Amino acid sequence: MGKSFIRTDTVPAREGGMSGVQVRELRDELERERAEGRERERQLERYASDLSDIFKAERRRSDQLRDSYVATVRALTNAVEARDAYTGKHTERVAAYGLELARRISPALAADPQTEFGFLLHDVGKVAIPDEVLHKAGDLTAAEEALMRRHPEIGQEMVSHVDFLDAASLTVRHHHERWDGGGYPDGLAEREIPLAARIFAVGDALDAMTTDRPYRPGVTFADARAKIDAGAGTQWDPAVVEVLDRIPNELLERLRAEIG
Amino acid sequence: MAGVLVVDDDPFIRKLIVTTLEDVARQTPVEAGDGEEAVLVNQQQSPEIVFLDLNMPRMGGLEACRQMRAQGKSQPTIVVLTAFPGDENERAAEEAGADLFLTKPFSPLELLNLVTDIGRA
Repeated sequence: MGKSFIRTDTVPAREGGMSGVQVRELRDELERERAEGRERERQLERYASDLSDIFKAERRRSDQLRDSYVATVRALTNAVEARDAYTGKHTERVAAYGLELARRISPALAADPQTEFGFLLHDVGKVAIPDEVLHKAGDLTAAEEALMRRHPEIGQEMVSHVDFLDAASLTVRHHHERWDGGGYPDGLAEREIPLAARIFAVGDALDAMTTDRPYRPGVTFADARAKIDAGAGTQWDPAVVEVLDRIPNELLERLRAEIG
Repeated sequence: MAGVLVVDDDPFIRKLIVTTLEDVARQTPVEAGDGEEAVLVNQQQSPEIVFLDLNMPRMGGLEACRQMRAQGKSQPTIVVLTAFPGDENERAAEEAGADLFLTKPFSPLELLNLVTDIGRA
């Protein structure tokens, strides 16, 4: 503490209490404190306004970052699909069906952008499969089949180095697993399979069945639904199939029409 | 780097500068509440930058600035905190040996840019 300005014990009190000097000193001190308070207030306001600018800039940056993530994933997806001409917009439709299922199963999962990224990128590993295998008209040899079945692992390996795709990479790896454990690459069963991959498998089947292929026409949503119901508990998670059963055909048709 | 010394009688202003530099510039500044203390710390720790308020009890910023310059042992960059850019306080501080001025109220960005610029010079 500095020296005290007011020594009431040594200065004789005048009528009314304090001396003129005391009053002036007290007033000065009060004025100084007020000035200090104003200075603090202005200083705080300055910091606060800077903070709000920083927040705004940060929000802009994070929006841009998210946009660039989405653009990156779309570019990869389109590059994969470009080689697989007849599937058309299969990936986009599967992502739409998958997200519709996910919203009804777990809103948090549906809101995580990595869920959609995983749906979109599921076949990214196919870029490593040579054209003559990918586009072969007849049956694959055992070696070709084995190579083809490696695309989930290759795909996961490709995207696992990308920070913002770590959860998505699980869907990429496990999108060919089966509920009964008979799928690949890891033969996971039931809840060992990540939820997003279990949801994906149902959406994937729905689109594969309802899309025309060079060697067969697509079936109706009602027929596809019946086939998927029959595979609930063997190929597919029965809980996910049950959710699919509650989605009306009209909604599925609308989703498909929107993608075109 | 020897570090930063923050001299102000208002603990609020000291805390503001210290926290900004700690969080963003990874500095751990030392503090002094008046000119006498500042001169002492300057002698002991030879900081690289001194933020110096002018209006303080016991010993004000001008006298502290003169004494720090007279110590000669270290020559910190002395940044004087002022209320009005270009007023007579700044001229007097310049004569006393101040290098730079930071006008209150300052923004965190101004503070950080100043420290970065001094580090580069």
